[in-house]
Amino acid sequence: MLVLVALTSSCVAWGQVSFTVDAPALTALGQPFRVEFTVDAEPERNSFKAPAFEGFEVLAGPSVSTGHSIQFINGKQSSTYNCTYTYVLLPSESGTFTIGSASIKVDGKSYRTRSLPVEVIAENSAGGGAQQPAEQSPESRINKDDIVLKLLVSDTEVYKGESIRAWLVLYTRVNIDNIESLDMPSFDGFWSQELTFDNTPSREQLNGRVYEAYKIKELLLSPQQSGRIVIPAAMMSVLAQVVVEDKRHFDPIFGGRQIYHVARELKTAPIAIDVKEFPAGAPASFNGAVGSFTLASRMPSSELESNSADQIEITISGSGNLKFITAPRLMLPESFEKYDTKVVDNVKLAASGTSGSITYTYPFVARSAGEFRIEPVLFSYFDPTTGEYHTLSTEAMTITVTDDGSAATAPAVGGYAGYGGTMRQLDRDIRYIHTDRLPHKAAGMMVLTPLYWLVVVLIVALFVVAYVLLRKRIRDNRNIVARRMKRADKVAVQRLGMARRSMEEGNRHAFYEEMLRAMWGYISDKFNIPVANLTKETIREVLYRRGVATDVAEQFCEIISRSEEAQYAPSAEGDMSEVYAFAAEVISKIEDVVKR
Amino acid sequence: MRSITKILSIIAVALLPVVGSAADGRTTAEACWKEGIAAYEAGDYARAVDNLEQVVALGEASADLYYNLAGAYFKLGQQYTPGLSRPFAGGELGRAVLNYHRALRLNPAMEDARYNLDIAVDHTNDTEAVPESFIATVWLALRNMMTSNGWTVLSLVALALTLALVLLYLLAERMVWRKVGFFVALMMGIIFITTTALALSSRTAVVEDERAVVVCNDTTPVHASPDSASKIIRRPSQGVTITLLRSRGDWSEVLFLDGEKGWIRTAHVEKIY
Repeated sequence: MLVLVALTSSCVAWGQVSFTVDAPALTALGQPFRVEFTVDAEPERNSFKAPAFEGFEVLAGPSVSTGHSIQFINGKQSSTYNCTYTYVLLPSESGTFTIGSASIKVDGKSYRTRSLPVEVIAENSAGGGAQQPAEQSPESRINKDDIVLKLLVSDTEVYKGESIRAWLVLYTRVNIDNIESLDMPSFDGFWSQELTFDNTPSREQLNGRVYEAYKIKELLLSPQQSGRIVIPAAMMSVLAQVVVEDKRHFDPIFGGRQIYHVARELKTAPIAIDVKEFPAGAPASFNGAVGSFTLASRMPSSELESNSADQIEITISGSGNLKFITAPRLMLPESFEKYDTKVVDNVKLAASGTSGSITYTYPFVARSAGEFRIEPVLFSYFDPTTGEYHTLSTEAMTITVTDDGSAATAPAVGGYAGYGGTMRQLDRDIRYIHTDRLPHKAAGMMVLTPLYWLVVVLIVALFVVAYVLLRKRIRDNRNIVARRMKRADKVAVQRLGMARRSMEEGNRHAFYEEMLRAMWGYISDKFNIPVANLTKETIREVLYRRGVATDVAEQFCEIISRSEEAQYAPSAEGDMSEVYAFAAEVISKIEDVVKR
Repeated sequence: MRSITKILSIIAVALLPVVGSAADGRTTAEACWKEGIAAYEAGDYARAVDNLEQVVALGEASADLYYNLAGAYFKLGQQYTPGLSRPFAGGELGRAVLNYHRALRLNPAMEDARYNLDIAVDHTNDTEAVPESFIATVWLALRNMMTSNGWTVLSLVALALTLALVLLYLLAERMVWRKVGFFVALMMGIIFITTTALALSSRTAVVEDERAVVVCNDTTPVHASPDSASKIIRRPSQGVTITLLRSRGDWSEVLFLDGEKGWIRTAHVEKIY
């Protein structure tokens, strides 16, 4: 059983026999090279038939080497076998020659290799480290052009935003032991991204000579500004290996081979890239997208309930500067509440530029009922291959929003809606213009002008003048009081006129009689009370009611009492004038109070 | 009392507007003004803008003129064809904001202009200003209730009243009047000082107005240094208000409301005053 399984498995393995040929695609005249035919199964004896190597001289071969290995992995046995036939050929002429197909038989089946073209070139006479005399130092065994560093670009004239590929290649005709340092230039003015690349060396022709080419780095550059941008030199230092066959120190056992390491500084030439500005006539919706794109959209359902959320999805796919594309502008009706746009990108980096897709999601909530038109979303890009602008558009659609019954709470008009994190009032418009006659030119600033200071000085001057004037008036006012006293005196004098005459005549009886008549008469006339009704009590009461001080009223009554007493009693002359003056004073006092 | 009415009449005479000098220019301006209003009413905002700009070019300057011009610009910018052009593609929003600011500079109490400016600013990507202190907010709101001249007149009236009440205090015979005179004079004195400060503050804000408005078709880059190769720190849209600090060649250093500084192309900003 086990043997059977092993047999079938090996049969399966042998069922896929590969027979391949390997030779350099490029070689130089006079430079020997190897051609290897490999088969991974045991061939039948003497079944290998080599092709005729036309244009080449067979220096050696075929030399056959076989290898066989058996592996056990997790208890499973697997075996590999290979058999290689090697020839060493020397090109005898320059040109392109074909190594024909070889054939071999495995288990009765015959297999053939594909034919392989080999280009043979006649190299320039310059260089060729191997031909140098052995006496030279190891450094001089490597010519200046044996190791060359080059920065290559896919294009030197591009549009802004269009991407180009730049790659750094090390060309060498000698063995490179080690790369000691590498200074990449600064790609100022570009947005640069490193690309992954296949780093198997290849043989390439440069200035008519054959080199091994090693790709060191590959970048994708996207210019961000227009004009001439110069990429400065890249610097590299390498250690090259030089093998010297020393004939003088030939050792019979180890031979005369000596290996030297030679350090070399390499530098690329600066490269100028001309970045063109976009041509005129960019559409309004152009936002700097360069490349070739398509637009797809997923529109919301055409019927919505108010206050319900939905979204519009727009996908831009293609190749170009996808990373620099900004979200296309979506115009929604004002009663639609907009929320932050979500961006999901699926962008891959490749040698041809970035490609993939970006999806923009515009969520919204329809607030009020009605029929709303959603304007198409426009996206414009510039195609650098044709030099033209293209505008892509979604289709316009109409959304019918039905009322969900909560119209009272929906902030449809004059309400606020969140927009980009800020509050924004909906449905507002500017107020109407002012349509009166053309107004006069606006007056200048008044404050601090001479006119202003004039007014201030005027006000202060008025104050001073008014103060001076009014102070004089106050002083005069005091005189008015004196005058008023005088006027009250006049009344008293008038009233007491008769009594005065009697006093001057020395008629005591008549004087007091006249005094009493004057006093009673004054009150009677003044307060319009009949003399018959007057008593001292009524006088006191009337005077009190008119606001005359009680002591003044008392003094008045006292004069009456004294006059009544003195009417018949003998008394001194001075008495009469004293009573007279006292009466005049009291009447003046009453006048003063009652007048006011 | 007679002295106060006298002072008031003097102030009234001083405030009479100075009648325009060149009657010829004035007639042309009036014709353009009428034409502009008619165009606005007919919805031909481009013609309204042309005519009102001509009135400005003739040397006229008033709050209503700038208000109407700003309105015409705003309406013109809103007249766009969906799909072919976008709103304010010709920089109309920046011009609208600029002219609303100019109207408010001449008349800070113009409520319509303040309302419309608020709407116009809503369409820009202007950043929120750093919140000021309560006192500063109240002071600003108070100052914007009147023009500088309004405050000046009020302060002069307050001065006259203060001195009149001082007279009352000094000269009244009765104690009641003396007391009234003293305290009301004190109050009037405070009002005089406040209104004078408001008038001076308003004058400073108007005469030393270093603000400018971004005027461009969409957005303009603001660089870290006056050099187009330097880092772009911000992209203000048209209509964003900034303060000019200094200029260097084609570049101007500007200060944003939130305190950020940067360099902008001088051609992309226009000063309010």
